[in-house]
Amino acid sequence: MIGVYDFCGHYEWTFDWMQKHYGKEYLHRYFDECIHQDAQTHAKKLIVEKGFEGMEEYWGHTLVDEGAKYTTRSSEDYFRIDMHDCPSKGFLIRNGLEQHEDYCDHCMGWIGPLMEDAGFSISHEHNHRGQCWWVYHRKGEETPSVAIESDENDVKTKANWNTEETPIDSFFQANQITDKA
Amino acid sequence: MEKNSEDDSVPYHDTKPAGYDGFYYAVNATFRFIEKTKGREALLSYWQDHGTQYMSPVWEKWKEGGLKSIADYWRAFFSHEPGAEVEVVQNEECVDLSLSVCPAIKTLREGKREIFKDYCQHCYFVSEAAAKEAGFTVRIKGGNGSCHQAFYPINSAPEPQNLKDIRSAQ
Repeated sequence: MIGVYDFCGHYEWTFDWMQKHYGKEYLHRYFDECIHQDAQTHAKKLIVEKGFEGMEEYWGHTLVDEGAKYTTRSSEDYFRIDMHDCPSKGFLIRNGLEQHEDYCDHCMGWIGPLMEDAGFSISHEHNHRGQCWWVYHRKGEETPSVAIESDENDVKTKANWNTEETPIDSFFQANQITDKA
Repeated sequence: MEKNSEDDSVPYHDTKPAGYDGFYYAVNATFRFIEKTKGREALLSYWQDHGTQYMSPVWEKWKEGGLKSIADYWRAFFSHEPGAEVEVVQNEECVDLSLSVCPAIKTLREGKREIFKDYCQHCYFVSEAAAKEAGFTVRIKGGNGSCHQAFYPINSAPEPQNLKDIRSAQ
């Protein structure tokens, strides 16, 4: 049986299996059609119907349930997450699992199209070591400057954010995995 | 990282005692996506490769430790699956798993998810591929929320698995 205790291991292995057999475009289809449009319909319903409040509701419980260390802040114009210890990538790092070339891309792969359908854009960076930040704001508007201003929870200010072992991937006002800057 | 006494029987460890049940949604959707886009043969390959590749640290232990290792694995495995109710019995012939509450089907039903019709077959194809690498074979009866799974040495295998013995999930 494929279980959920080591789900992130299964998931990462699956990315590699799909890319090796059917290519990167197929993997990107998987993130959108399978994860966004099928597995995560509960997330989509919340965010489409309730906007920023729905984001708070969705990530407020899923990240806790997954065991994440993170902070959020929001206003009527944005919702921001600073992820200090990603439970998913952290699981892979702690267990020495690295099958796929860029596990972290899966989040943008499903969240990006979901946010597009819900009318939001994303600015986001991840460092491939379990740290990342996300700002969601209305599509067609500039990323609110207050959302990208640094505070004590800004993951980019931490010592482990940008080292030789942590190349940064960046997305600005994006919705697709191929929008990587 | 905290470990319980059975944890050495599973290859990977998390900081939480049990997995997040929402991930069953992704497992279910993944099977549906592969079959819909690439067909049943591709899905069978995915399951079998999962058993031989991803589960290699598991079947390597089974190969070394035999039936006891298989029993230890499944006891530890289900202790980390949220909501699972299982009895694992090892006897001279086989390891028998009586899964009275399948955590995946339970979660998918509670979440009102469309369950992939052949969801329960993945247990056979994944486990059979892994077991075969270690010199064992599995037979499954039931499904759709509860089942019996028995792991035998290949040289004392009963009749081949009849897929009709594995119920469709709904």
